[in-house]
Amino acid sequence: MHRLRAYVIPYRVWMTTLIILPSLMILFLAITDFDLYLKGPFVFTLEGLRVFTESTIQIALMNSIKYSLLTTIIALLIGYPAAYYLANLKSAYKTFFVALIIIPVWSNMLLRIIAWEKLFFPISILNNFGISLDWIGSDKAIVVGMLSMYFPFMILPIYSVLVKLDQHLIEAARDLGANGFDTFVKVILPLSLPGIVSGVIMTLLPAMTTFALPERLGGGKVLLIGNIIEDAFMKTGNLQMGSIISVVLMIIILILFKGIMTVDKEGETLL
Amino acid sequence: MSDILKIDHVTKSFDDKVVLNNISLTIKHNEFVTLLGPSGCGKTTLLRLIGGFETLDQGHIYFEDEDVLNIPPNKRKVNTVFQHYALFPHLNVFDNIAFGLKLKKQPKEEINKAVMNMLMLVKLEGYEWRNVDTLSGGQKQRVAIARALVNQPNLLLLDEPLGALDLKLRQDMQYELKEMQRRLGITFIFVTHDQEEALTMSDRVVVMNEGLIQQVGSPQDIYNEPINQFSASFIGESNIIDGVMVTDYEVVFEGISHPCVDHGFENNEKVDVVIRPEDIVLIKPDQQMIQGVVTDIIFKGVHYEICVMVNDKEYVIHSTRAKHIGDKVSLKFGPNDIHIMRKSDA
Repeated sequence: MHRLRAYVIPYRVWMTTLIILPSLMILFLAITDFDLYLKGPFVFTLEGLRVFTESTIQIALMNSIKYSLLTTIIALLIGYPAAYYLANLKSAYKTFFVALIIIPVWSNMLLRIIAWEKLFFPISILNNFGISLDWIGSDKAIVVGMLSMYFPFMILPIYSVLVKLDQHLIEAARDLGANGFDTFVKVILPLSLPGIVSGVIMTLLPAMTTFALPERLGGGKVLLIGNIIEDAFMKTGNLQMGSIISVVLMIIILILFKGIMTVDKEGETLL
Repeated sequence: MSDILKIDHVTKSFDDKVVLNNISLTIKHNEFVTLLGPSGCGKTTLLRLIGGFETLDQGHIYFEDEDVLNIPPNKRKVNTVFQHYALFPHLNVFDNIAFGLKLKKQPKEEINKAVMNMLMLVKLEGYEWRNVDTLSGGQKQRVAIARALVNQPNLLLLDEPLGALDLKLRQDMQYELKEMQRRLGITFIFVTHDQEEALTMSDRVVVMNEGLIQQVGSPQDIYNEPINQFSASFIGESNIIDGVMVTDYEVVFEGISHPCVDHGFENNEKVDVVIRPEDIVLIKPDQQMIQGVVTDIIFKGVHYEICVMVNDKEYVIHSTRAKHIGDKVSLKFGPNDIHIMRKSDA
């Protein structure tokens, strides 16, 4: 281990400058009255938390929770059977089908969002097929958009758990008198739980914090918490407000992460 | 005793490779039968067919006179102890063993009692709340056996269950399994590639090779009267020598005529002669007997393994007396020590 220590330095530099320092800055901004143009003394304060009493913020937070939960539930309901099917596929094309799910992730997310946006306008390429959608600003647009962005992150961890599942365990369950349904409920489902937890967190988190997606597909009608944070930093310059919301979100994320670590001790399904 | 299992002309192929070739075998109630053979001989496939995990291509399997072709594994009164235990990692020892009983929706008290009894039987009292990952190989093995036996199957299938254990533990478990089988009166079908294991535990040994049954018999029969060259070479060490059956009760090999107890061969039929290493005694050189030179000697604890070169052929002899390399010796054996086998067609 000692010999490898030197190779850890780039990682440490990366972590410090790009993750730890910015996080500390955000935390500092969240709990002080420090302002971008304010010079001189500043005081520590939790006044920032007051923003959570504002109805806009509450609505945005509820919207984020609503859309991300809805997306996660739908992704799980579609993703689990799909992952199960793929994992048990006895085909030479198995890897190819899995690749089909991964490939979209490799293309730029913003481009994909814009592509959906184009389709959701009443006048689009879909008109050639006699279809005209007017979805921009609707729940449908947000959820379909989120699903297409984050679905692969649901299906892959579940797939990777199921594909590694020891087939002898399934045979053992059958041998002990379990029918197909019992085997699924008592053996396959509990053993794929780590994959489900990973998938849920990896879908829920980005969906909860996204700001580009509602901006393009929401048509100004759908406000998510990510938009509030973006506006606070980029438009209104209210650093304290943006920071305190970010910190609260971060705490929620850390609690969720703690959850994943207890179910999936080795973290083997996260990547 | 009546038959519990009848395997009737069963054939099974995987991707055009015939794994079981027209196998027939009958197993009686309360029997301890071992399927013995090298890896790839089809013994595990036969076990999986009986358990219901593979479908056969041709033939029938009758369990208690009922054709089991369309009966799924969960409806068969058969339980399996899998090669690598296949314990459920998300359940503790108790829940692993109780798995089958809970599916049968038995009352809680009965399940508790049955599981505790099983833990006592496999000597794992006090382990019921342990995580199965914290158990040693031998303990996992015991849980796997308890998990199968608690369902009171009429037939227990064991797929190389002792393969992963070290020698001492394996010998203990062999004894315990045999004891359990006697006490519970359950039919055991045991798959192994370890000939010593097969000889120690079984009522009947089924020697298999390349999808065919080579020989079926008691351990004594299999050891003393191997039916062909494969059986002889697979079961224990043997000297297999080319010979000619001149007439009944007389065989010629190494240029010398020997009296023997075998008969029923054609006159001057070419045969394989089998002599076990422990049946040969080394004596001073004698013109009337096979002569050779000691080329190697290895101390094996109870005995020495001595190699003797006779006319370019090496004989293996087990003896409690040491010899020196280069000693000239003669091989002495009686008519009862000579086993004659028909030449294999191959």
